[in-house]
Amino acid sequence: MISPVGGSFRDPSNRVYTVTLPEQKRPAIYRGVDEITLENFEKLKTEQFYKQLEVEKRVVNTTLCAPDDPFANEILGAGWAGVLVHEPVSIVSYSYEWSFAMLRRAALLHLRILTDALESGWTVKDSTPFNIQFEGTAPVFIDIPSFVPWQEGEPWTAYRQFCCCFLTPLMMRSHQGINHLPLLRSYLDGIPPIEAANYFRGFSRFKRGVASHVMLPARVERRIEARERDAVPAEDRSQRKVSQKYVLALVESVTRLVKSLSVDIEHTDWSEYDKTHTYDDEEFQAKKGFVEEFVKEKKPSCLMDIGCNTGTFSKIAAEHADLVIAADGDHDAVQKLFMHESSHSAHNNILPLVLDLSNVSPNQGWAGKERSSFDRRADPDSILVLALVHHIRISANIPMALFLDWLRSFNCGIVIEFVDRHDEMVVKLLQNKSEQYLDYNRKAFEHELEDRFRVRTSQELKGGKRVIYHIEPQ
Amino acid sequence: MNNRKLSAFSIMAVAVIQPSVALAYVDPGSGSVIVTTILGFFAAIGYTFRKYFYKLKRKMFGTKSNEENSRALDD
Repeated sequence: MISPVGGSFRDPSNRVYTVTLPEQKRPAIYRGVDEITLENFEKLKTEQFYKQLEVEKRVVNTTLCAPDDPFANEILGAGWAGVLVHEPVSIVSYSYEWSFAMLRRAALLHLRILTDALESGWTVKDSTPFNIQFEGTAPVFIDIPSFVPWQEGEPWTAYRQFCCCFLTPLMMRSHQGINHLPLLRSYLDGIPPIEAANYFRGFSRFKRGVASHVMLPARVERRIEARERDAVPAEDRSQRKVSQKYVLALVESVTRLVKSLSVDIEHTDWSEYDKTHTYDDEEFQAKKGFVEEFVKEKKPSCLMDIGCNTGTFSKIAAEHADLVIAADGDHDAVQKLFMHESSHSAHNNILPLVLDLSNVSPNQGWAGKERSSFDRRADPDSILVLALVHHIRISANIPMALFLDWLRSFNCGIVIEFVDRHDEMVVKLLQNKSEQYLDYNRKAFEHELEDRFRVRTSQELKGGKRVIYHIEPQ
Repeated sequence: MNNRKLSAFSIMAVAVIQPSVALAYVDPGSGSVIVTTILGFFAAIGYTFRKYFYKLKRKMFGTKSNEENSRALDD
């Protein structure tokens, strides 16, 4: 079945289609392109810089579709001049689910690709993080039609978009400690300079890059708005020429700026989980053993570890799974996992994402179809939910039945850990609450569980204060 | 949750042309050519200065600074 992609409509020169076949696990990704884009692609494939990017797996593997391909013929029938085939990525994630280090790495990949392209007489016309996806901790550029020949005198056309989508959020986090993720989730096209300028007050305007890449663009945009509003004709700025040396120097300068940005990992509730958990060694080994048994048996193609902290159990799962999506709401814990996996991972198969589990990324953008909700993109065949239910019930105020319904909707095997109300961590959670959540107890939990799942095995931990279950859908 | 996999892959590889979300007649983004010209000019001066500085440093100390290769991915 061929379906045009909901979010692929902004660039009129091409459109992405998915082709789903019953025997294939992943849908194939096709792209109909117009004549100019087709011509560009054929030239691009012969360029040394592009071949090098392909070898290093910095760009998604893309080929021209064979003319006898029946799906290609159908796409050509829609009026396209040619059809490209892309290798699918494991899972689509968005910049508002990436930690600071992931956004920074994606930004550096974009700048590297742009520099290589400019030096070879090409440029990249878009600069949005939606054109970059992660395979484990490695960013991959996926929007091949973005490569276009550089025209003499052409400025860095996507400079503003780069600043809005990458540079500004990185500077906000690094210089001001502002959580950039909710902003990126709201501003799908990036944070505009005039808005960003409001976040930099007083001396923070003198921090590296702020005056040049936030305050100056904001000032220019305000002046243009003031000068050209109402019936005043707009000045033609499209004919301005910029030397290639200026463009390359600007890209180099921005690269240096991005590299200089960093954030420290704070001691948050979860970022030191390995040292601060409340199990003794024997119990912790028992819990690890239970999880390992489950993943060994399942050998998942995609396992989702929700509430992963710094990924202690994701790392165990990664030994037996093709892909592990490690999700947690604590930015610093996720960043720590990402940094660890970047330097120590043997398999590069853990994708750490920042997700508030009581409010995961929704369907949004044009007609609510441009960007998909997290649970529509994730397709796990196994799930770990370790010591999370009490947070969902008591901290997020979500009834256990609703949470278990959500888990049931994934229709796969799950390891879930229940932390009873006598456990010191639940006692702490309830300490200063007037609502005591009396429905939160083991009996009620097991009753709700058995309404939706079959319990395969279970094991008590911490003298019965916690119980870990392997459950399967009924 | 049916078709979740289809949806997951169906949203990849989306080309986004320079967006202009302010639905007004004035396109504030058109000013970025002015900004890139100004910043490009100063960046070029800085680039040239650094180039000669590193050259001099290499001649004096015989070592290559890490900062010289600013294109490499910071992995």
